[in-house]
Amino acid sequence: MPKFTLILMKDRFSIKFGGHSGQGINMLGGFLSKALRDLGYAIFAYREYPSIIKGGYASYKIDFSSSEIFSSSKKTDILVCISLGALDEYLPSVSKNGIVIHSVKDFQLSRENAKYIQENNIKIVFIDTSLITQEEQASLIMGNIVLLGVLWKIFNADLSILEKIVVDYFSKKEGTDIEAEKRCLKAGYNIEGINDLSIKDLPKIVSTKWNESIVLTGNHGIALGAIAAGCRAYYAYPMTPATSILEILGNTYQKTDIVVKQAESEITAIQMVMGSMYMGARAFTATSGGGFDLMTESISCSGTTEIPLVIVLGQRAGSGTGVPTWSGASDLAVALHSGHGEFPRCVLCASDPIDCFELIQDAFNISEKYQIPVILLTEKQIAESIFNISRLPSSRKIKRGIVQNGEKRYILTKSGISPRWLPKVGNKTYLTNSDEHNEYGISTEKEEDIVNMSEKRMRKIISLKREIPEPKYYGPKTPNIVFVGMGSTKNAVLDAMKISKKAVGYLHYKYIYPLSYGKIFKLSKKGVKLVLIENNQSSGFGRLIKEQSSFYISNTLNKFDGRPFFVDDILDYLKQ
Amino acid sequence: MKVDITQYDTNEKSTWCPGCGNFNIHLALKKALVELGKQPSEVVLSFDIGCNGNGGDKIEGFRVKGLHGRSIPFAVGAHIANRKMTVIADIGDGGCLHEGVDHLIHGIRSNYDITVLIHNNENFGLTTGQITSTTKEGKAMYGFPNGRTEGAINIGELVLSLNPSFFARGFSGDPEQLSNIIKSGIKHKGFSVIEIVQICPTYNPESSLEILKGKISQTESTNDIDLARKKIKDTEKIYTGVIYTNSKLKDYYSNLENRKNRKSELVDEVKNYDIMNILSDLQ
Repeated sequence: MPKFTLILMKDRFSIKFGGHSGQGINMLGGFLSKALRDLGYAIFAYREYPSIIKGGYASYKIDFSSSEIFSSSKKTDILVCISLGALDEYLPSVSKNGIVIHSVKDFQLSRENAKYIQENNIKIVFIDTSLITQEEQASLIMGNIVLLGVLWKIFNADLSILEKIVVDYFSKKEGTDIEAEKRCLKAGYNIEGINDLSIKDLPKIVSTKWNESIVLTGNHGIALGAIAAGCRAYYAYPMTPATSILEILGNTYQKTDIVVKQAESEITAIQMVMGSMYMGARAFTATSGGGFDLMTESISCSGTTEIPLVIVLGQRAGSGTGVPTWSGASDLAVALHSGHGEFPRCVLCASDPIDCFELIQDAFNISEKYQIPVILLTEKQIAESIFNISRLPSSRKIKRGIVQNGEKRYILTKSGISPRWLPKVGNKTYLTNSDEHNEYGISTEKEEDIVNMSEKRMRKIISLKREIPEPKYYGPKTPNIVFVGMGSTKNAVLDAMKISKKAVGYLHYKYIYPLSYGKIFKLSKKGVKLVLIENNQSSGFGRLIKEQSSFYISNTLNKFDGRPFFVDDILDYLKQ
Repeated sequence: MKVDITQYDTNEKSTWCPGCGNFNIHLALKKALVELGKQPSEVVLSFDIGCNGNGGDKIEGFRVKGLHGRSIPFAVGAHIANRKMTVIADIGDGGCLHEGVDHLIHGIRSNYDITVLIHNNENFGLTTGQITSTTKEGKAMYGFPNGRTEGAINIGELVLSLNPSFFARGFSGDPEQLSNIIKSGIKHKGFSVIEIVQICPTYNPESSLEILKGKISQTESTNDIDLARKKIKDTEKIYTGVIYTNSKLKDYYSNLENRKNRKSELVDEVKNYDIMNILSDLQ
């Protein structure tokens, strides 16, 4: 039997769990993510799952490294499967010299897969988990814990690290037999006949600081940022990939005292947000493309009434219902242009949980100070992937721009901002009007009023642009090639930069509109090759850059197959 | 502090047709608020788009003229943020039963502590007389000389089918009674739905003040839903008054487990919060 040596993409290693939807794949992935972190690795985990409750196949892929990583690789070094469908589906994604561990009895390789396995020297190991669980007097479903034990043995890692995580998890769940879970984990770990699978080339653990790090999804970042920013109400209608914000804020509501409301529609949710924001509470909603479309009349209403509004738009793949549980970034145009008429707005875009945490706070500050709708874009890849970060930054200072009292609600000012005072007993009352109105809020049809009020509102964009930070440049001082992008594309490029020998940089946009484009000109003047990178077909961000700056970036790297950019996608492009 | 009804007056000129029911509805609303001792700055009025919404500048208070059909969810958001304010959603039969009927249904189900005034003039008035689901059968309307093709909605039947906590019906021709009904609705802790039979001399002259007065019959409140239904279904008489109440239903906010021991309002709670305890729970 040949000795198995895995050939690694520099300092990265990956594991994929595959099974039916509903077989506990996410739980296994969660255990291993935390255990690897506690071992001292930085992890990144990515989920693929169908838009059904049971059946189909789902995966949880963990990439880990000795230093920070933000994206997945295409191939998998070790595949762990507990269902036949998943095994067939994911086998071709196993890397050369990789390992497959599975518990599928009487598994027959298809001719194609058999050829692939032979050509790539892939080792397949069957673990009879039904027999082992029987011996351990455990239920059949605990077979997945057996496999986890086997995997941990292959890493030759300390079992107590993993055991602690498993025990912690089940001790919070009522009605689980924790002792049986422990027995299954040990049985897997002590299994015989897998000695030749031990891996010598795991990434080196260079520092132990990662075991003090935190593991979060982007939606966790949004929820935590909103709590920190003094958000007191969350109104939403479920839609992937925004749904888990409702879960996080709901499950923590006893500690935060936030009002969490599952509204009867997206229109209800956004109107409730506007009602609460109008009164002076902080509130927001989150949705995906379809739900956002329903909200757009309210966005226009917010623009005219100058009621602050914060919306998180979690993007997913496709138009229509699209590919509901997969990733993409094709909703910039709707974020920029939704809503009838002309009114100012702000569009932000996150790339990871830290961005999510900070930008939702910025969204509240900008929305209240400028009294405009603010749309924060995320993607399924950001919202639901599990990121490992050393720590969250400190919270942003709350800036609201609220005054005690006033006379003219829509007073004409140079900045375009009419100081807002809250509806409260004793305060001067006013009419908040979605009709075009004069400075007092009274409906008007006079030419002068219409022009003055429209110009006043649009001046807020000029004022806002002055405080919008520049995009951030990552990379060497003298790059040959610089990717320009927003959202999760940053993560794959940053990971590729660590591997590629080329002088590659990335210009990352978080503040999308109003757009700051000076840095693009500077890079272009230096003769750097600029490449627009977008998780969509028609380069919406490139169109915005062109519209705002007249600068056209002709090189593009687009991907729109429902998958995010993998680190390999960037490396392949750089090879060209 | 004593409140005078003139505090609710504004200088804006009326734009309603002569004889429009909205004049008396506003009178009744102002009177109710004054008699409850509410200052205009204690009141949030969330208006619909339509003839009723054009009254947004003709009454004092913190008024919002937002989107067609959405005055209820906006009012709910305002109420949840600050329960010290008296929140009233003011909407027509078009906005309430057509564009935003889901908000009425879920508002009743959720039992938010707000008051909803439904101006039922049996048509879309501001867009010059289109059919609504309360338009009389066979009545020629904008674009439909033979009347509506669809069936009707009886507001009372719809509301009573949803286990409401308060349903009343008033009449724009009797502002005194309407004012008392609105007062009861505001005082009721829950979702108070008040249908107002409204005169529209321009697009619904058939239902004139005289004809309606002949049909109106004042009634007493009941907590017997079958009795209330019987009154609502009566085709000869139009019963007005507080028709049905159920004080056993708790309002939405009182059902929020995490707000039970909170004395403050959401608007008083906007500040930076430490997230460390939440974060450690998530790890």
